[in-house]
Amino acid sequence: MEKLNYPQVQETLYREVMDNGLEVIVLPKEGFNKTYATFSTRYGSIDNHFAVGQGEPVKVPDGIAHFLEHKMFEEPEGDIFATFASQGASANAFTSFDRTVYLYSASEQVYENLSTLIDFVQNPYFTDENVNKEKGIIEQEINMYRDNADWRVYFGLIESLYKMHPLRIDIAGTAESIWQINKETLYSCYHTFYHPSNMLLFVVGGVQPDEVFRLVRDNQSAKSFPGQGEIRRIFDEEPEEVQAPRKVIQLSVSQPKCMFGFKEPKTGYTGDKLLRHEIATKLMMEALLGPSSALYQGLYEQKLISDSFGHEYNSASDYGFSAMGGDTPDPDRLLTDIEAAIKKAKESGITNEAFQRAKRKKIGGYLRMLNSPEAIAGEFTRYRFRESDMFRVLTHYEECSLEEVNKRLREHFNFDRLAVCIVEKPSE
Amino acid sequence: MNEFQRGRIGAINLHVLPTKVFKTFAISLYAGIPLAENTVTPVALTPFVLRRGTASTPETIAFREKLDDLYGAGFGFDVYKRGDAQIVQFRMDVINDQFVSASQPLLAEALTFLGDVVSKPLLEEGTFRSSYVESEKETLRNRLQAIVNDKIRYSAERCVEEMCKNEPYRLQALGRLDDIAGISPEALYQNYSAWLDHAAFDLYVAGDTTLEEVAELAGKAFKLKPRQPGAYGAPDKGYSIKETNYVVEEMDVNQGKLNMGLRTGITYGDDAYAAMLMYNGILGGYPHSKLFRNVREKESLAYYASSRLDGHKGICAIQSGIEFQNYEKALEIITEQLASMSKGELSDLEMNQTKAMIMGHLREIQDSAYEMIAYDFNGVLSGNLRTRDELMAQIAAIKPEDVAEVGKHVRLETVYFLRNRKEA
Repeated sequence: MEKLNYPQVQETLYREVMDNGLEVIVLPKEGFNKTYATFSTRYGSIDNHFAVGQGEPVKVPDGIAHFLEHKMFEEPEGDIFATFASQGASANAFTSFDRTVYLYSASEQVYENLSTLIDFVQNPYFTDENVNKEKGIIEQEINMYRDNADWRVYFGLIESLYKMHPLRIDIAGTAESIWQINKETLYSCYHTFYHPSNMLLFVVGGVQPDEVFRLVRDNQSAKSFPGQGEIRRIFDEEPEEVQAPRKVIQLSVSQPKCMFGFKEPKTGYTGDKLLRHEIATKLMMEALLGPSSALYQGLYEQKLISDSFGHEYNSASDYGFSAMGGDTPDPDRLLTDIEAAIKKAKESGITNEAFQRAKRKKIGGYLRMLNSPEAIAGEFTRYRFRESDMFRVLTHYEECSLEEVNKRLREHFNFDRLAVCIVEKPSE
Repeated sequence: MNEFQRGRIGAINLHVLPTKVFKTFAISLYAGIPLAENTVTPVALTPFVLRRGTASTPETIAFREKLDDLYGAGFGFDVYKRGDAQIVQFRMDVINDQFVSASQPLLAEALTFLGDVVSKPLLEEGTFRSSYVESEKETLRNRLQAIVNDKIRYSAERCVEEMCKNEPYRLQALGRLDDIAGISPEALYQNYSAWLDHAAFDLYVAGDTTLEEVAELAGKAFKLKPRQPGAYGAPDKGYSIKETNYVVEEMDVNQGKLNMGLRTGITYGDDAYAAMLMYNGILGGYPHSKLFRNVREKESLAYYASSRLDGHKGICAIQSGIEFQNYEKALEIITEQLASMSKGELSDLEMNQTKAMIMGHLREIQDSAYEMIAYDFNGVLSGNLRTRDELMAQIAAIKPEDVAEVGKHVRLETVYFLRNRKEA
């Protein structure tokens, strides 16, 4: 058991890697009643083309990681939700671009629940019948998102940014692609990506680290996992230009939704370097586009944006893109005004005052996030899968310089790599 | 276990939870008045205008900068209805000074800020700045119009609107679209002054502080006329109709939304509330509930099928997203579940699972400052300060017959279906 102290944020982490490669992290939270645990695999919607060890590359149907997530909850003896409910735990799961996360929250029978979590994720049970039954349910999930304007505009933007990268695939797949999924493809993905060495267990809350490690050690040593070669993820070469500079989707909305973003060449970064890159970019965007910026207030005054206007930046070693926008009565004017303001900002740079303010805001937001076990587990895992350490975020915010931020400002906003997605109501 | 300490400064009731568990101070101010047609829109508009600038910080940019300078203090507000009250809730979340090198104590700064926002607004020639009022009218208008963008929320609200068409509860918390144009800065200011003089104010602080400290800081921060604190009345929980009302609405949508409104006759303050929580939990509160198992798992008709209890109004609302052609089938299955509830077809497993889930949730409240505050405020609002321990003991004692008894009084009042346009 390894002990990691983070005095700055008054937190201590405990870490142990099991013999089979499973990494386990425990963050005891004194005074907390509940325990929140996530069991995550480095497997998401973008992992649709891969090879293991010396094996042949395989390509799998869109939406399979998400389908697998749904099916894991079924066990030979029934639905695992029932077991969690009997133990007073709320369980759930989600699939993102690069990970699938199973979780529960409980204030009693914490260790029984932890065993249930590990066991159900390590016990796939797929039959032709239960796989087919799930298709109707997932089809309704897909239909639900088709009516969700915020979801459509966000994923529409990603589709416009990327030509080849599987980021552009809908996480749940399509009504057509899910019908290609069967129990054989599910088992094959399961055995590839749910090997313990590809997974992370994170436990936060009112727990004793040594008890958690003992439980996991005993649980894992009673199971056997065949050795596995390295997973190679295959991504086709992504061109520098965007797929479509402008995409329009029609949906019954009260006002157009407009999101736009800039695509960057792949960063090539992982670990601390990627973290710093992300933090510098986020500080830059906050100073430039946050609610206290002159740009934001000017657009708000002109009624071109509402308080739904937001911005974000996402990156990993093989991609980097921003997404910003919200509701607007006039997408074209908004884009023209923003383009002019950004071009001006690129010349003048961000002021030290705005930079310091963005820094304080981000530091405060980060510390507030540490109140939430759910957010800690989610963020920690997200960073860990990129080989970064979430508890280094504060240090990076403190160390980041105005020069770095201004450099990111000049690099990031390349109008040749801008894509726009608009959701608007069909014209009568 | 920590308890809220209570006090009062003038018109404001204080509720302070001293705790060292969190890295922040959580602050909530609830201001409630009866939900009424002639005030609902100006009251909803008020916090939008108040957050534009104060007497001490008139310009919005400076106002936002001040929040960033307080280490990115979280500041926000919500307008909602609880029972028959319209409540404006202001929230602030500032980090505990020990983690940063702040020159001013952040709790004091935050309360001063909040006091300025609520009670010392920017005034020009004795009224609100008209450009702020005009621009926030636009914001409010957009918000109201945007409800339709989220079909899940829209259909839920339409169902309640139909169900409560003869009560104030039919009103949207954000008011009425048609009222907005006619609100002048003067009229809004007048309404604001009356609101300040009559609303029930409850100020909550959770964090490393004391009642005395909060009383002193809040006393300086808020400028309100000396008066008795306002209080909340009991909601109207009566049945409104005899026969179920079926409503179908057509729109350009990909998925049908089936919503059903049940009147329970039981609200948060009642002794039967614990049994009502159990009823909702067994029916549709969880993935082990009847709705999830029968509509989703057994028939693959939906991705979501659940029920939600509006405990202050005594409404249990069912929602599900389905294929248009499955309307009758889904309705039939859900109606069967309701019948089995009132017949008392409740297994020990369902009882035990639901008890365990409700208890788990009640225990977990303690790990979030805002949830502790929200739970306590439920007690203030309903006039029944039932502790979590008391509620847990009541839940533990519930028998299947208690749930069936509740079920006998539950009435299906409205069935609302949002569907695509039928071919002409």
